[in-house]
Amino acid sequence: MPRMRSQRLSREPVERGRWWRPVVLGLVLSGAAGCEGTISNPEGPGGGPGPGTPTVIEKPAPSVRMARLTHVQWTNSVQELLRLDAPPTPLAGTFRADPAQSGFLFDNDARALSVDEALWGAYQRAAAELAGQVTTDATKLARLLPPSAATSEERARAFVESFGRRAHRRPLTSEEVESYLGLYRKGPQAYADMAAFEGGIRLVLEAFLQSPHFLYRVEQSTQAVQDRVPLDDYEVASRLSYGLWSAMPDDALFAAASEGTLHSREGVATQARRMLQDARSNKVVEAFHRTLFDVPRYAAIRPSLTRYPQVSERLGEHAARETTLFVQDVVFSRKGGYSDLLTSPATFVNDELARVYGLSGTFTADFVPVTLDSRERKGVLTQVGFLAAHATSVDPDPIHRGVFVSERIICRKIGAPPANIPPLPAPQGRTNREVVASHTEAPGSACASCHSNLINPLGFPFENFDAIGGYRTTDNGHPVDASSTPNINGERVPVRDALDLADALAANESVHACYAQHWVEYLHGRPLSHEDGPLVERLGKRSKAGNLSIVDLVVEVVTSEGFVNRHPEELP
Amino acid sequence: MKLSRRMVLKGLGGTMLSLPFLEGLMPRTARAADSGARPYAIFFRQANGVASAQTTSELGAEPERFWPRTLGALTAESIAGRAVGVLDDHRAHLLLVRNVNMKDYNYGDGHARGAMQGLTARGPVVEGAGGGSESGGESIDHRIGRELNPQQRDSLVFYAGRRGGWLGGPCLSYRSSNVRRAALHDPWNAYQTMIGGPGGLTPEAREQLLVRQRSVNDLVKAQLQALQQRPELSASDHERLDLHLSNVRDLEVALSCRMRADQELLLQQQAPGYDSTDGTEVLATARLHMDIAVMAIACGTNRAAVIQVGNGNDGDTRYRDPGTGQLMENFHYVSHRRSSHDASGGIITGSDLLHHHVDVQFASAFKHLLDRLVAYQMPDGKRLIEHGVAVWYNDLGNGPAHSARDVPFVLAGSCNGFLKQGVYVAASGGGNPNHNRMLNTIGTAVGLKNAAGGNLDDFGDPALTKGVLSELIA
Repeated sequence: MPRMRSQRLSREPVERGRWWRPVVLGLVLSGAAGCEGTISNPEGPGGGPGPGTPTVIEKPAPSVRMARLTHVQWTNSVQELLRLDAPPTPLAGTFRADPAQSGFLFDNDARALSVDEALWGAYQRAAAELAGQVTTDATKLARLLPPSAATSEERARAFVESFGRRAHRRPLTSEEVESYLGLYRKGPQAYADMAAFEGGIRLVLEAFLQSPHFLYRVEQSTQAVQDRVPLDDYEVASRLSYGLWSAMPDDALFAAASEGTLHSREGVATQARRMLQDARSNKVVEAFHRTLFDVPRYAAIRPSLTRYPQVSERLGEHAARETTLFVQDVVFSRKGGYSDLLTSPATFVNDELARVYGLSGTFTADFVPVTLDSRERKGVLTQVGFLAAHATSVDPDPIHRGVFVSERIICRKIGAPPANIPPLPAPQGRTNREVVASHTEAPGSACASCHSNLINPLGFPFENFDAIGGYRTTDNGHPVDASSTPNINGERVPVRDALDLADALAANESVHACYAQHWVEYLHGRPLSHEDGPLVERLGKRSKAGNLSIVDLVVEVVTSEGFVNRHPEELP
Repeated sequence: MKLSRRMVLKGLGGTMLSLPFLEGLMPRTARAADSGARPYAIFFRQANGVASAQTTSELGAEPERFWPRTLGALTAESIAGRAVGVLDDHRAHLLLVRNVNMKDYNYGDGHARGAMQGLTARGPVVEGAGGGSESGGESIDHRIGRELNPQQRDSLVFYAGRRGGWLGGPCLSYRSSNVRRAALHDPWNAYQTMIGGPGGLTPEAREQLLVRQRSVNDLVKAQLQALQQRPELSASDHERLDLHLSNVRDLEVALSCRMRADQELLLQQQAPGYDSTDGTEVLATARLHMDIAVMAIACGTNRAAVIQVGNGNDGDTRYRDPGTGQLMENFHYVSHRRSSHDASGGIITGSDLLHHHVDVQFASAFKHLLDRLVAYQMPDGKRLIEHGVAVWYNDLGNGPAHSARDVPFVLAGSCNGFLKQGVYVAASGGGNPNHNRMLNTIGTAVGLKNAAGGNLDDFGDPALTKGVLSELIA
């Protein structure tokens, strides 16, 4: 019998004491009042960090017990569950989009994922369609059915137990088995035109696909050990699979849960490393960075083709492809760390991007690896996607470049600007920087408090890059001044240009902690909580020190106390 | 709902193949037993203000192109040449209201302030969050659904336009504070949601489906109820489970209120263009949403609907210039009078007139809604438009200034004689916020009450002056 909600012991705090050194999380540092805050949810799980109350022990944060699958997770789970050759993406396309949830970067905030009338109807229709597809195709059905048994009823029972274990992502209780078998027995009436066995299985499949135990990740463990509630092995398996694959556990992970090997940190780490070598993790890593780097914004890249005749309307599409290839290369091929994302000049280009980067040689529509001139480019913030997505059609946009770096890279939220901002004045012979500075940094103005201290110093270093991300040394006939002294988490760091800024960001522990924070939020499907602080800080230190690859960082998150335990208290 | 009505409707539909699909379902006396004159509200939202008289730094003095020339009784002359003039056929049913002022809450963004306050009359959960805002309260459409709909079904929320974008796309309807509702996008899926089951089935297949689904529902309900009873669940978990369970219902509706098969096929064929940036396609989608909303109301399955066109600033949609036939810049740019989402772009020549052209296209879409409501003759001999109210409203008073004042509200339908008709009035309250009282007036007209059983007067922000706009009441 597999281990279910067993007397599983928590990892002892004393053991964790070797993993990290308690220090107050330092993401909140000084800056201009009224402009900034950390990116976390003050009303989120755990109630947010309390001033002067540093958390010094890694532990779980309060979270939902019923986390509905995202549409991507549903699609992947159905493919795996029904052992389909292709994901049922068209069916998922009929699901209404989940509403935006402000204050959370990713699309998997479990508190916002509900089943309303529209989605329930779509689930019903999808379940009927899928069950019909599978049970009217002998080949597909054979993938799911257990071997023949003495009677159809016995075979149906075996099916309910084996399939149900995968659909519910845990062994069924005897009551659950009986309830599904009761449905199976209604098959002949429900599908009078089908053979009784197949008709019964069809109805059972429909029910499994509509079951809350399939549509939600349900965590039922309640037995607290010390100050946390250990998840059972199947619950850990689901957290792992949905975190690392956005899909249900595979057979190997189920086997690990059944054997109780997810009871130990080593067992979880072994599975996590295996899973991170699977192509399914590539999609998750890609999705994470697409959101983090706001790649969807690239679709709005619309440079003036008069001003920039060397590019096409597909520049944004090509830039998105570059970002994807770059991230995959750093994370998986080079086993790199966050510093590599911020500072590596190695990337991928096609002919259009090669022109923007000023590369010599012959290029085609195919993307090929290149190393950019390290005197001009370092990392994702000096690539076309970020630069062109934060530009007008003709000029770079240091304001939005600076806001992006502040919010996404430093985890320092910038307050919204006031309404009715007057337009930028005409250049009148000035550089873009001079125009922006004159407009936003007038001493004593409302604009200056945010722009002078927080925004512009993070945006001006990119003035060497024009509206399509091309490198430039002059602007409007004047030499480009890309120097500034940005405030990076309380530290004023003089930089000459974007290369210096990239190095400064990569050398800052809090920047690495910010990146770890994003991963914690994404893998948990909830906003950061103060209980996460010690973990985030520990990962930030190690990442900055250069001894934690991104893959290792992800493994650290999913083997952490917070990932394999529940908080002893529920959400408010 | 009586299952037998299906056959009645089918029979009626069979005689009217040449008409748009709604007419095929004209309920007439078939509805007498289960309809009654239940008032409803349909909200049709436009973003970015309207081309009213204003002075902008970009274009200077812009003439009035939206409102009637004079307050008082509406005449053909008073609305001729104005955007609302498109509605002349329905002049007798109109109630145009100016001087509706929202509160200048600190959403950190004018569009968020207007869109998220528009149906909630509430400020933000977190002040100054800009595009990261959420409203601090339930929206009026949801309140109507929760209190007045059969089975407490959710109001219908539709979205036409490219998915995503500013404020995440759909951003009007709220279940409660900070809990934004999803919207129906694809009209075919919207239709299937409205009817409560799959489309495209024969009557016999639907009967079989009902039986099967009931068996599955029993199992699912039992599982959900077992989960609900677990003592460790948080309030958050309970709320989501309660919502889920409330929607696991049987499919009688699906068998009673639906289009004919040929009409369903037509809808399926028209639906794929819904995720578009082309304003013509976007408004065509909105018209399909209107058809579905009106059908739901005519059938008595819902009493509130919201139709949102474009995202938070409708910044992805490009409407067509009727003069050139070409697509304009996106509507947000046009409304700013500049080629940018902020104040940095170059001035768009003639953009005030372009804005007016967009207003006219919205007016034409609203006219389609009114045409549909008029097409239904109800058992009491009245037209459906007389039973309820359709509301064409905006997030902003104007584009460039993002004003919270003088936000256009164009109402059509009296809610069984509750609201004035055929007039253009100025709402009371001077320049103070009174938009919450507009929502209270609509809520009252539809049948919502306050805790004491009187007119709904306390919807929205409790810090605002309570009450209704009595000058709108007949």
